[in-house]
Amino acid sequence: MSRSVLERLERLPRRDLTVLALKGISTLVPGGWSNPTSADQMISEVIGSQDPQLIRQVRIRADQLSGARAEGYGRALSLYDAVNRSQHATGGLRLLANVTAGLPLLKRISGITPPGDTLQAVDLSLKVGAELLAFTQVNGLPGDSFADFGAALADYAGEARVRMAALICFDGLLPLGDQALQRLDGLLGAAGSGDLHKLPAYGRMAALIPGRGDAAHMSFLRRGVDQWLGWAGGFVGQLGLSGQKAVAALEGSIGPWQGRFDQLAAFLDAFTDTYAHTGVQAVARRLVERAAAEI
Amino acid sequence: MPRPLRWALAIGLAGLLIVGGALLLPFSDWFPGGTVAGISKQEVVNGTAFNRLFPAPAAGEDLVFSQEKRGFSEARLKRDGAVVALLAISDTSTAPEARAKFESASEAIAGWPLVEQGPQASALLVADRFQVKVIGQGSGLDPQRRHALLGAFDLPRIAALEPSRQSRTKPRGQLAEQLGEALPAAPPATLQPQPELQPAA
Repeated sequence: MSRSVLERLERLPRRDLTVLALKGISTLVPGGWSNPTSADQMISEVIGSQDPQLIRQVRIRADQLSGARAEGYGRALSLYDAVNRSQHATGGLRLLANVTAGLPLLKRISGITPPGDTLQAVDLSLKVGAELLAFTQVNGLPGDSFADFGAALADYAGEARVRMAALICFDGLLPLGDQALQRLDGLLGAAGSGDLHKLPAYGRMAALIPGRGDAAHMSFLRRGVDQWLGWAGGFVGQLGLSGQKAVAALEGSIGPWQGRFDQLAAFLDAFTDTYAHTGVQAVARRLVERAAAEI
Repeated sequence: MPRPLRWALAIGLAGLLIVGGALLLPFSDWFPGGTVAGISKQEVVNGTAFNRLFPAPAAGEDLVFSQEKRGFSEARLKRDGAVVALLAISDTSTAPEARAKFESASEAIAGWPLVEQGPQASALLVADRFQVKVIGQGSGLDPQRRHALLGAFDLPRIAALEPSRQSRTKPRGQLAEQLGEALPAAPPATLQPQPELQPAA
């Protein structure tokens, strides 16, 4: 039996590398981030009351909702988990390639690892696509028109600002450079379906992506990324995000870094779970808001 | 047991398993755990039907829809970019326990019972089925403002909503179905909402 969303929330780490990396990035975002890991506290924030009986009712309802397969909460979390595992795998490979590149006997390993930029771009588009799919799994298609849906999506992105900042910095600006968002479309255009198959997460996500076949999936991802790029470009401009600033912010919480930016990105990919960590928190928040309205 | 027989048995069993699984696949929604409280999706009013019944935002305020599922729709009321309140309509058919609190309700809006849940939430039960709720967020809303928001929902049309298929477990729905089959021309009178017959308090 899989764990409910709120149980997953309470099992999130309170202090580890993931939390430190997110704390570092959150200094770039106004409003900050508090790493919510207590379900009861989240519930009492939403209902504006400390009444233990009300909190218990909301919690029971939330567990009932997250246990129902048709409601999509479990599916959203498994999407995040799939992306997370894929991120660990590719991050580990890139790290290995970096380490072995300096050793004469092991140089060949760096030859078998997939080359950086295109794969990194596909990885980012897969994450944005997973975000879009998870959004529809958790929230449905809110509103009656496409404009309503767009507003709901923008509202959600605004709420998950630290999550988006982490995505943009760790998967865009650090590995691909400051022009990451401008380069992304070109890189994705150059990517073939073979690149898609190199990412372990794709196999698990394929069934949930609309359209049949790799080409249809690739075009869905590109359209999703196009939508997201408009918003992300404004976000980057507004906060003045850059690789340099991201590294400075991370050094404030993790410690000094003297390597290249893409090595830092590979290190973070291999050893942190920022995407799944903030994903669980975002899903839990939406679930609690629903449960509070239904009790 | 001879070897060919063993093979035939194994293949036969595997085939049965696959065929049985394929036959049961369309019914996965009915298996326990598939839907909320084990109630079929068709018996719950879809959230799309709720969207247009939300109150129109006042000047300077924004209404942003945030969630829409079977039996649930939620929007955020925003002023100057900050969330002031969560507005929601839900179908209580998957949460019958939510109806219990209205039995002791002493107030009413437009004839429907009204209860307070803690200092920030007000809930209204429409047609003994749909729960309309306003939850103050951030700095919060006073009760008068919450009640005004509840009154601004399109309550008569909420009361008139119907699911795409009536519950088979409810005797009332079953009776209406039988009546409807016997007399297709006659409207199922028992299913019509009758707000004037509801207790005012």
